[in-house]
Amino acid sequence: MKFAIALFSAPHAPSARRALRFAEAVLAEGHEIVRLFFYREGVYSASQAVVTPQDELDIAAQWRAFVIQHNLDAVVCIAAALRRGVLNAEEAQRYGRQAVSLEAPWELSGLGQLHEAAQQADRLICFGGD
Amino acid sequence: MATLHLLAQSPYSSVLDSALRLLSAQDAVLFTGDACHALQAGSAPLEKLQQLPVGIELFALEEDMQARNISTPARVTLVDYPAFVALSIRFDKVNSWL
Amino acid sequence: MAKSMLLINRHSPWSGLCARETLDIALAGGAFDLPIGMLFLDDGVFQLAIQQNPAVLQQKDLGANLQALPLFGVDDLYVCGESLTRRGLAADRLALPAQALDTAALAALVDRYDLVITL
Repeated sequence: MKFAIALFSAPHAPSARRALRFAEAVLAEGHEIVRLFFYREGVYSASQAVVTPQDELDIAAQWRAFVIQHNLDAVVCIAAALRRGVLNAEEAQRYGRQAVSLEAPWELSGLGQLHEAAQQADRLICFGGD
Repeated sequence: MATLHLLAQSPYSSVLDSALRLLSAQDAVLFTGDACHALQAGSAPLEKLQQLPVGIELFALEEDMQARNISTPARVTLVDYPAFVALSIRFDKVNSWL
Repeated sequence: MAKSMLLINRHSPWSGLCARETLDIALAGGAFDLPIGMLFLDDGVFQLAIQQNPAVLQQKDLGANLQALPLFGVDDLYVCGESLTRRGLAADRLALPAQALDTAALAALVDRYDLVITL
């Protein structure tokens, strides 16, 4: 089965960790993830700028490692990201901002990518709310 | 078409009431995060859930029940992540209450 | 055949970005000619209240964007009758032509769509 997984919450949110554990189980059970799409507060879960105390879970880093390990298509909504100050080098330069908080493997793109993934996948699962 | 409703908020917000209003006869509910408080023995939300038609299955994410020390009511099935994945396939779609 | 998507709006218009970012999902879907439906439920019905004045809050007029829905092919607009009544709003005085549904019809609505997200 093909899954599209969307995350709507920040890295410290229980749902951000829950989404990752679910995504890991999807692959462990032999299914495919067609795309990860991070929207709303989920853009923060793709941030490289998050600094987590040593004795706490670094979910943003775990997401990144997961995406790289499995070579997943990982998209962050550009409109939601810009509003929240999550910028890659290109956007930071475009808007004259000093802070770059998004890097590969994350790609900034539009909501069309969420719709495309939802159409291609057998299941769309969204996480957030807490 | 049967829907799995995925809840993550406290039952003392309006999410639970609204979700229950939208349930069809073949639907199910998966309680995660603070939504698991709805399964607390002696609580008003649990009383309401016990009234649901028996065809509506109730599931809870095991780790969230354990973390909160909530014992599992008779009609609730605990799931781990592999079972959560299986549930999302068994039902035609998953409606997440965000 | 394209999968249909129902977006359930539960947030009021001036309580942050939720209403706007949910609408953006609908408009993006419409732009790709996908079958999109919108249900306004709970505080989401406030998005349909008439004669609002977002300018005094220095907010962009969400209402104007909501009016764009039919232009993007998103015509299937629904509102929960009970949510309206509880909040003192009338189904025949809404900013958009949304069909008022009772509780039984809400469940049937969710059933009809291939994808559903509740925001």
